Amino acid sequence: MVGALALNLGMPCLVFSSLTRLNVSLTAFAEMVGAYAVVMLCFLFVGLAAIRSLKVPAHTYLPIFTSSNTGNMGLPLCLFAFGSEGLAFGICIFILSSIYSFTVGWSIYAGRLAADVLYNNPLIYAVALALIFMLSDTSPPDWLANTTELISGLAIPLMLVSLGVAIADLRVRRTGKIVIISFIKLVTGFIVGYAVGDIWGMEGAARGVLIIGAAMPIAVHNYMFAQRFDRNSDDTAGMIVISTILSLATLPLLMYLAL
Amino acid sequence: MDTIFQLFGIVAPVFVCVGLGVLWAKIGAAFDSKLITSLVYNIGAPCLILATFQKVDLSPGAMGEVALATISCYAAFTILSILLIRLLGLEIPSYLPSLIFPLTASMGLPVCYFALGDEGLALAIVYFTFGAIGTFTAGAAIAAGTLSFRRLMRAPVVHAVLLAVVLQLTDTSLPKWLFNSVNLLGGMVIPAQLVALGVSLLELRVGGLVRSSLLGVFRLVMGVGVGFAVAEAFDLEGAARAVVILQSAMPVAVSSYLFAQQYNRKTDEVAGMIVVSTGISFITLPFLLLAVL
Repeated sequence: MVGALALNLGMPCLVFSSLTRLNVSLTAFAEMVGAYAVVMLCFLFVGLAAIRSLKVPAHTYLPIFTSSNTGNMGLPLCLFAFGSEGLAFGICIFILSSIYSFTVGWSIYAGRLAADVLYNNPLIYAVALALIFMLSDTSPPDWLANTTELISGLAIPLMLVSLGVAIADLRVRRTGKIVIISFIKLVTGFIVGYAVGDIWGMEGAARGVLIIGAAMPIAVHNYMFAQRFDRNSDDTAGMIVISTILSLATLPLLMYLAL
Repeated sequence: MDTIFQLFGIVAPVFVCVGLGVLWAKIGAAFDSKLITSLVYNIGAPCLILATFQKVDLSPGAMGEVALATISCYAAFTILSILLIRLLGLEIPSYLPSLIFPLTASMGLPVCYFALGDEGLALAIVYFTFGAIGTFTAGAAIAAGTLSFRRLMRAPVVHAVLLAVVLQLTDTSLPKWLFNSVNLLGGMVIPAQLVALGVSLLELRVGGLVRSSLLGVFRLVMGVGVGFAVAEAFDLEGAARAVVILQSAMPVAVSSYLFAQQYNRKTDEVAGMIVVSTGISFITLPFLLLAVL
């Protein structure tokens, strides 16, 4: 219920409020989204290669590679590392990654094309509304700006709390394969983020946020999806826990290289 | 016209959040009020208090003045409420707490914040703290018939206020990482409480509407009157004056319902007072803001 409150009220407001308040220029938004799209494309190839060589089913393991925890772990990191500018960049990444997860990721778990999740997701409406203000170069009226800013305060604390609770509730069974997959995910994430940032010629906060966004552990919503479609949810849980714990250990190093 | 938009900018967040809470309950989505309350009281509120006091620069004089004004307001509320209850021949334990305590936290804090910025929020917290101390001790004591000092001293909010005031007086700032963390966690308090208020408004079992409407209106009128009188008597100015008046004029506190429920006092009428006074204050609040700003 805390997660639902964060996802349905907090996040849409945070997305809207950050995009409009922080004056993210359309070009910066497009650049961030573009660079992260390249990152995710690389993840897709890494994922397919890993699945082939480890001989595991794609419906469980492919989304593991492509969706990173850019929300409840990535956003606070971007905020604390680069201030509100970093948060705005982080949100661009989060938007792309969550739209991807709730459409393509969901469809992979479901084993069918699911377009209904697109219009069932309040996040999409928040992005659309923010884009209208960004495109027309106007600021939203006071009442809307104040309201969304207020509600956006819910998002990050509640997500962190629900992440903690979700991890505490998870049970890990088999190790071995899932440790290897978690490890591949984290290492390739960092390398891909670093490489794309370099090739793209990014600098400062944008570069740091791209690397952070790429190097995040496996997203927690994969567990909810895996459970919903009965796809080895215990393994998924294990990988989320392991990659999150591993990333806690590597975070200081990551932050050092990203800053 | 500009003033109207400005006022709308102040009250809209409150309406929208409460509205979202009502909507949330209406569509039957799960809402664990107990969990939210405990997150807010144990984690969010102490963090909000610490972070807010770090952001403002208040003199001990200003804080003391508002604190004294708050105590005077509560004293006046108590005397006037007892008089009214006696006059109407009602029982004191059922009605007194709901008449005395205004909704200073979930409604007073955001209104003061959006009207007066961080300074307003900090002063509103001073007012709220004395209200909380009163609610926890006197309010519970009236409803239960016993005084619970132990409970008050265990409340994380009280610890946070003490710490915040000490830091403010000694001019100490928290390390950046700690400030960032408490600031982030404090952000959930106001929206979470407003949404919870919306949910509970829909869940309240309202009864005895005539009497509860009358008492609800009395709470609002008394609040405005006492607020203005005390602000005048203390010669308050600027943010301090506005905060004392706004906080005094808030509708019946939702915590009164919890007390009534806990001790089996007239819960349906207390619920009626909460709903009626909150509804009316949605309409009167913009005018009150116009008068104090």
